[in-house]
Amino acid sequence: MQFKSKVLDNGLKIVGETTSSSLSAAVGFFVKTGSRDETAEISGVSHFLEHMVFKGTENMNALEVNAAFDRTGAQFNAFTSEENTVFFAGVLPEFLEDVTAIWADLMRPSLREDDFDMEKNVILEEIAMYEDMPQFDVVDKAKELHFSGHPCGNSILGTGESIRNLKADQMLEYFRRRYSPSNITVCCCGNFNWENFAAQIEKLCGHWEKVETKRETSFTEGTAQTKIYTKKNLSREHICMVSPGVSAQDERHYAMNLLSLIIGDEKGSRFYWQLVDTAIAEIASMHYEDMDGVGAFYSYFQCSPENSEKTIQTAKKVLEDVRDQGVTEEELDKAKHKALSALTLKNELPMGRLISVAFDSVYLDKYIPTKEQIEKIRAVSVEDVNSAARMYDMVNCSQAVLTPEK
Amino acid sequence: MKRETDKHILKNGMTVLGEPMEEVGSAAFNFLVPCGTSRIGKDLQGSGKILKNWVMRGAGGLSGRELTDRLDGLGLHRSNAVGSYRMGFSAAMEAGSLLDALELYSSILQRPELSSEQFELCRQLALSEFMGLDDNPRQKVMINLREKFYPEPLGLNAFGTMDSLHSLTSEETASLIDKYFSMPDTIFSVAGSYDFDKVCSRLEELFGGAEDKNIPHFKAEKPRRGYWHEPHEGSQVHIGLMTETVPIRSDKYFDAQVAVSVLSGGMSSRLFTEVREKRGLCYAVGANYNTLKDEAGISCYAGTTPDKAEETLEVVIDEFKKLRDGVSEDELARAKAGLKSTIVMRSESSMSRASSIGGDYNLLGEVRCLSEIKRRIEAVTLDSLQEFLDSNPFEEFCIVSIGPKEIEAAKKI
Repeated sequence: MQFKSKVLDNGLKIVGETTSSSLSAAVGFFVKTGSRDETAEISGVSHFLEHMVFKGTENMNALEVNAAFDRTGAQFNAFTSEENTVFFAGVLPEFLEDVTAIWADLMRPSLREDDFDMEKNVILEEIAMYEDMPQFDVVDKAKELHFSGHPCGNSILGTGESIRNLKADQMLEYFRRRYSPSNITVCCCGNFNWENFAAQIEKLCGHWEKVETKRETSFTEGTAQTKIYTKKNLSREHICMVSPGVSAQDERHYAMNLLSLIIGDEKGSRFYWQLVDTAIAEIASMHYEDMDGVGAFYSYFQCSPENSEKTIQTAKKVLEDVRDQGVTEEELDKAKHKALSALTLKNELPMGRLISVAFDSVYLDKYIPTKEQIEKIRAVSVEDVNSAARMYDMVNCSQAVLTPEK
Repeated sequence: MKRETDKHILKNGMTVLGEPMEEVGSAAFNFLVPCGTSRIGKDLQGSGKILKNWVMRGAGGLSGRELTDRLDGLGLHRSNAVGSYRMGFSAAMEAGSLLDALELYSSILQRPELSSEQFELCRQLALSEFMGLDDNPRQKVMINLREKFYPEPLGLNAFGTMDSLHSLTSEETASLIDKYFSMPDTIFSVAGSYDFDKVCSRLEELFGGAEDKNIPHFKAEKPRRGYWHEPHEGSQVHIGLMTETVPIRSDKYFDAQVAVSVLSGGMSSRLFTEVREKRGLCYAVGANYNTLKDEAGISCYAGTTPDKAEETLEVVIDEFKKLRDGVSEDELARAKAGLKSTIVMRSESSMSRASSIGGDYNLLGEVRCLSEIKRRIEAVTLDSLQEFLDSNPFEEFCIVSIGPKEIEAAKKI
């Protein structure tokens, strides 16, 4: 594995990790923009813009874009989060240049008004789809409660109302502000030639005009608000708890990640033994999300409405015990084994490396080889995990409950 | 990408398959035990789901807790699933843990504890999961569709029903082990970094003594076609439809795969173009090829708001039917490129390869190596595709929907 990086004069960052034994390559454009960079008036614009990028440029219309991608056999897609909009593709080495050229072209989209109006329908359908998925809905609601007043609480999809009211020129203005080359990282991993790749990016993207971009990255411990929402035709109770954690820039995120595995991994965790093994809840899980300047633990539970109170109390008791008594050496060892084998499996795929290498560059402006990642996980001690558990109040957390309407 | 498949039959008849991957540090395996929903049958429907959980709650003298700790200690990523013919027990790990993991799985599959106290907890979880389906109409509609489309008992779902889950006893459920957990009829597959000789000799020690259980055969009923709707006060109408096509054993199998790819392979495929890009009817729309041994179908999901449901269904059905009117050279090339690269990229994951080779062997009795699959996709031409579509037209549909409104157009199809 070999890492290379380069910054163009306009601020565009290019990073790559070559693994010649890979059968494929993965390429991605990582734009540092998401719902946290929006105001209420344009809520959902980052995600809507992600869709509009596929609608083409001066050189290609939407149908031509789709056909051009499909001719390469690439597996390509995009996603938008609170703070990133990512366009990526997995491809056989012989088609990498073609796919990279399509993405580079699309990063300067036309944003045509008629495409905008048609795609609005698709976005509204996507919002409707998530409304029928309470397991996602409750997490969104809990996030909004926890980060109330902080931009990380902004909805990624926006609302039916904000999307209906959004104008094409508002999106254009947002695009100009946020898709500056200095706000984009291009990454390639797997079987590819770095010199050719970097030269291609420079040729295709070197002339993009730079604009100053800013982001508000304040830390928050969250609001610890709780709220119950009722919903028609719901069968189960859906519960989401959110508590604060350190940011992606803080080294203690390794300890926080292991802590979340000890408390709420799908199997063999404290939540598992207390809630799932005992059949109080059918799902009880926790994961830790480290973000730009801030972080959070998300726990999700699904159970019968009758078991709701018991589930919440049991989960809180687990969190209290971890805070007061700490975790054991054996628990930490198991969590490390899980984390390391997940890392091995993920890093075997160019797509897995793409996400790691690009995000390390976006968040930390550095390269962390797999070996170093492994060492950092191995180096975490019981004391590190225990202090992570006591750093913030995990027990009095923000909490959303989605319950069937009686 | 020239990889040979390893194959060995244990003395008792258990099949061992392997695909070595030099470039990876992981290993993944899959045990396919002949205890699928079609063998379990309607009377005991849902018991497979209970059993796959129950066997993990103590085995080989280890309590549930000890067993889980040992599996976690090896860093195993594991999942168990109940299919139509078989129950799968799969795990992926750093290669160094492979032989230790096999020992634990030999206890799980041959010496599970099966205490009645743990049975009740597993039953409760199965009931909860069954009820949870109501909160996931997108998943539920495809489960219902499969059940309607395939002749009974082939499409029986693993979740069971309220009645079956309530009436099952621990004795009945445990009896599935005696009847169907036959190690000689089990297919074991491994992929990644492993030493095949060592794996085989360890498996011989761990499983070699197991006897054949003479798995009883089942008879399938005739398939049903029609329209079924389930009312649900949600935001969308979730539509699932399925039409018959050739199974994996057919010599037209690769033509069928290419046809599905033209219909729904990439973003330039017909369904995505006509339903989403041109008309903005759906966010999620897509078709998949689905095969058993002798039956197969192309299934399609579309989710849309109620006022667009009629048009969505009409456009989808129309696209299925229009395939026969001809496919362009460029469409064929795109479909083939997409299929080939998907296959190569999937082959980079040990988990995916272990599951593929086991699955192939289950349905075909052999494993098609990657170069053979690529060659067969390459061999599909416009003529062979047309011949396939003419002799296997998409005329009859099985349609299921969940949502606030029935689809009138579905009643006429």
